[in-house]
This record gives sequence, C-alpha cells and structure tokens, in this order.
Amino acid sequence: MELFLMSITTGVMVGGIYALVALGWVLIYKCSGVLNLAMGEMTLIGAYISLSFYSAGVPFLLSLGLSLIIGFILGIITERIFLDRLIGEPVLTVIMVTVGLSFFFKGSLELIWGTDTQVFTPAVFSIEPIRFGQIIIGQVYLWSFIAAIILLVIFVCFFKYTRWGLAMQACADDEMAALSIGVSARFVYAVAWAIAFMAAGVGGTLLGNINGLNISVGYLGLLVLPAVVLGGLNSIPGAIVGGITIGVLQNLCGAYLDRYFPGAVKDIAPFAFMAIFLLFKPYGLWGWERIERV
Amino acid sequence: MTTTFLPCGVYHENYIQDHAWWQTKFIKGKMLLLFFLLFILIPLLADTYILSICNQIGYTILGAIGVQLLIGYCGQLTLGHAAFVAVGAYTSTLLILEFPWPAILLNLGLAYPISIFIAGLMAGLWSVLFGLPSARVKGFYLILTSMAAQFIIVDFIITQYVSQIGGRGQAFSLPPGTIKLGPWLIDSDLKVYYLMILLCIICIVGVANIMRSRVGRAWVAIRDNDISAEVMGINVIKYKLLAFFYAGFIGGIAGSFWISNLAAISPEHFPWSWSLWLVGVILIGGVGSIHGTIFGALFMVLVMESLQLMVLPLADIYPKLLMDFLFIKEAAFGLAICMFLIFEPNGLAYRWWQTKNYFNLWPFSY
Repeated sequence: MELFLMSITTGVMVGGIYALVALGWVLIYKCSGVLNLAMGEMTLIGAYISLSFYSAGVPFLLSLGLSLIIGFILGIITERIFLDRLIGEPVLTVIMVTVGLSFFFKGSLELIWGTDTQVFTPAVFSIEPIRFGQIIIGQVYLWSFIAAIILLVIFVCFFKYTRWGLAMQACADDEMAALSIGVSARFVYAVAWAIAFMAAGVGGTLLGNINGLNISVGYLGLLVLPAVVLGGLNSIPGAIVGGITIGVLQNLCGAYLDRYFPGAVKDIAPFAFMAIFLLFKPYGLWGWERIERV
Repeated sequence: MTTTFLPCGVYHENYIQDHAWWQTKFIKGKMLLLFFLLFILIPLLADTYILSICNQIGYTILGAIGVQLLIGYCGQLTLGHAAFVAVGAYTSTLLILEFPWPAILLNLGLAYPISIFIAGLMAGLWSVLFGLPSARVKGFYLILTSMAAQFIIVDFIITQYVSQIGGRGQAFSLPPGTIKLGPWLIDSDLKVYYLMILLCIICIVGVANIMRSRVGRAWVAIRDNDISAEVMGINVIKYKLLAFFYAGFIGGIAGSFWISNLAAISPEHFPWSWSLWLVGVILIGGVGSIHGTIFGALFMVLVMESLQLMVLPLADIYPKLLMDFLFIKEAAFGLAICMFLIFEPNGLAYRWWQTKNYFNLWPFSY
C-alpha cells in the first residue's frame, strides 16, 4: 500500500512536468497543425541554457527566467526559418522537418555541451525528503510539481484573458474566420512555437534537477507523445490529464512490473500503453474526431 | 512524377513493347554499362575503403526500400523500420549460432541463405503485428504505433531478453567461417559487396515488379485515397497488412545481410535514429520512386563520407573535431532533411526525371 501511494504521488509530480511539456506540444498542434517530434530536444535546449546560467553563478529563478527569454527568441526564429514555409504541406513533410530539426538540435547540443551527465551544482532543491504520514517525497519532485502547476495556471490564464491568447484560441478554432477579423496567423504560429519552447525549457530544467542532465533526458520529452495521444491531440485539458496519467502509469509499472520483466519497463510502458490505447480510442479522450470524405 | 516520355521517334506497336522494362536500345545499353560497372569495374578498381562505402550504400538501399514501399507506395507512415531490420539481423544470427543445423546443410553452406529467408519471414510477421493498428488509425497515429514498435522491439525485447540467449552478454559475435553462401565463405569486403549487389538487385526487381501487379496498383490507390480505394472494392486492410509484410520482409533481409559485414551485432546498431535516417533517405531521394531510394542512399552516404574527409585534415589543427564529428554529422543530416523538404520537396528523383525527359524530348520539348 505504501509503495502504491508513493509511486502514485511521485507519478503525479513527474506527470506535472510532462503535462507542462505536453501543453507546449498541443499548443503548436492546435494553432498551426504541426505534429512536432522535436519536443525532446526542445526540452534539452531550455534545460542546458538554464544549467549554463546556473553554473555561472546566476540564481536559479533568474537563470530559469533567462532560459525562458532565450527559449522565446529561439522559438520565433525556428518557426520563421523552418516551419513558416511549410504551411499547407503534407503531414509527412512537416513531421520530417521537425525530425530533421530534432537531429539538428541534438547534434548542436552535443557539440556545445558534450554528452556527459551534468548536474545542477550546488543542488537547487535540498535532498532532504519530506514526509506526509507514510509517504516520503523528494523535495525536487514536490517543488517541480508546484512550479509546473504554477506555470500551467499562468499559461491557461494567458489563453483565457490576454489579447494574444485569445488570438491564438481564435486561430486554433477557425483559421479562416480568425484571419477575416484581423488576427495574424503567422504571428500566432510564431507565438505558439515560442511558448512551446518556453514550456519545454522549464520542463527540461525541472527534469534535469531530478536526475541530472544529459542527452537521454530528451527521451523524456518524447513521452509527451503518449500523453497527448491519451488526451486527444487538440485538447489542452487532455494534455494535462494525459501527462499526469503517463507519469503515474510509468511509476506504477516501475514499482510493480519491474520484478516480472526486469529492465526498461518504465521507459517502454507508456509507448506500449499508447499503442494499445490507439486501437480502442484513436482520437484520445477529448480529441476531435476527424470526419473524412472522399 | 508521372510518366517518362519516350524519345522522339520511338513508338510502340504492341503491348509487349509497351510493358517491357527496357524499352529502347539506349536503355538496354545503359543497363549493360551499369552491370559492367557494378560487377566488374567497381570490384576491380575499388580498394577496401570504397568497397565498405559501397556496402554501406547497399545496406541503406535495402533498408530504405522497405520504407519506400510503406510510405511512398502504400502511404503508411512509419518511423520504426529499424526495429524490423533488427528482428531480421537477430533472427539470422540466432539461427546461425544456436540452431542445430543438419550436417548436410552446413556442408552445402545453405545455413546462411536459409536464415536470410527465415529472417525475412520473421521480420515480416513482426511488421504485420505492429501494422495491425493501421486498420484503425492512420497518419500521425500510425507514426506513433511504429515508434512504439521501435521502442518495444529494440529497447525492450531485444535488449532485455534476446540478448541474454546463450549468455553472451550484450553483443553477439559471429565466429569467422559461419557465414557461408554455398561454397563461398563471406569473409572480405569484396564478397560482402557481391552479396549486397545480389540482394539489392533481387529486392529492387521484386518491388518494381510488385508495383506493376494488382497488389502494387491497390497500394497506390490506398495511398492516394484510402476511402475511395475501399469504394472501388479493394480490401484495404488486407493490402495494408500485405504492404507491412513485404516491407518487414525486405527489412529483415537487410538486417540479415548486414550481419555478414558487422560480424558482431548489438542493439545499438539499430537505434531509433536509424529509422529516422531511413525515412530521411527516401525523402531526400524522392517519395514514391525506386530511383529515389537509390539516389537518396547514394546522396546520404556519400555526403556524410565527404564531410568526414573534409573534417579529417582539420583534425590535426583542432583535434577535438575528430571526437565531435559524430555530432556534426547528426546536425548536418538534420539540416539536410530540413533544407531538402523546404527547397526540393520532390527529392532528387524529380530532378532525374526532369533531366531524362528533357533529353528524351529534345529538340521538341514543348
């Protein structure tokens, strides 16, 4: 029972980070219809930038903020150079451009920062665990979860109440109508990429705090794919629920199935689950069902 | 990319001529030259380095042609083809190492050829298993299931379980003398090269011929619009699964060919990035064209090799470059895919087609 509760709480906490990254993914898809496979590398970029600032002696929050700003700029640049020209191209073309981007980012990251695991020194969060009755949680998890939730709330408020957020909602809902009332679709695409970069960067920084940062943290960025499929590709609440579910699922599998299938169950479970889930509910929990005509 | 026009003044009088593979004397001559180049000139003149590059190109072609069949001809997006290559490689290795072959087969040297075939079948069946979701989903969702195939097969089943068979640890090494094709022991780059050419020709001719049959036309119909294909009376699911089977089969052959070159295989030879690489090859070469697969493989391997040759002289001045080359290669590959898709979305095969038509129609190109 203790193990069960512990793995659920840890799962929810890590899931909060996944939810944040998944939110960025869904945002890009909703606004511009781009299915982004470079999310893992985007998390790495933000994480490495904030790690560099932090290692140089900048306070953690400030370095996080700086990585947000740089992420914003990088997002806009990426969109302008690569994805702006691809509006209206077939799905495979767009996906493969993001795959190309992921190779490009990954190569550049390895070139700049190397492949060794780097940790945030001195540790940002104290290693002393916190106890809630029987449950013991590392402080890293708790603070990461809180940070992720705060950012999720900020993003959701941004969509609901600001001018840019409303423009993005309009564009996601009906691009033609949005264009006709004077929303600039190109601007919306750029902002969507910028926000996705920012969300991914924060997610990556938090993940990097848990186990140290190396290229394989980018694999965790791929876990957003099962998360968004679970929630439905174009649903922001779906992304949040999906992210948390995947976090819980991963930790439960790690806790219980590892005995029977030693090895990498924890990494594989989300993808196996996703493949089976797709057979029964291809459009996820809240995704729009696509109606096809000849 | 539709039809290639016949040269000025050439016309057909019956259907046999119209359906012929090589329709003019010029093409026959060209093909003869190609055979001469592949079978005589390259083995005669090339040194080990060039031969190893050729083998790499051949492996890329063999791997990519299955992807071409799935993506280019049947329209089923896949980003997990390396998994089936891995299945082929491991099936073949395990058969050679662990299966109690009757002495007569061993003496005749049939163990490896038979294992190639079984590896193909095995990979085909795994491919069908992971192609099953294509009955329900398509497009992006299918990409996700094929990614799941990659992670489940390579990172889980092969790394955790298959690698443990025989207690060899992570890597399986093939002792010299085990890979025999009939009486020939495949132990040098030259012999691997001949095997590669043989398998490439078999697979390319096979795929090209399937594309001229009912099956191939059904695949193209499914690619263009699967709903209207169904309306026309094509059993969509059956043909989709058939496409997955053929693609997996060729992938398995590719994998079991590659063990003759590697001599030791481990799961790291079949990473997810290799799946992406194969899709990149067909996109650069041209989707929906066999020429495109070959051009793409040539382009990718040659460009990466020349990049390496360019970097090597610089390494004396700046030694860190040698270590970083892998990363430069990765970044260059990514950039190449992006640039090709943005500026040359039809791939190299389109340019080839244009050039060919220009000369065929000359001087009356309008």
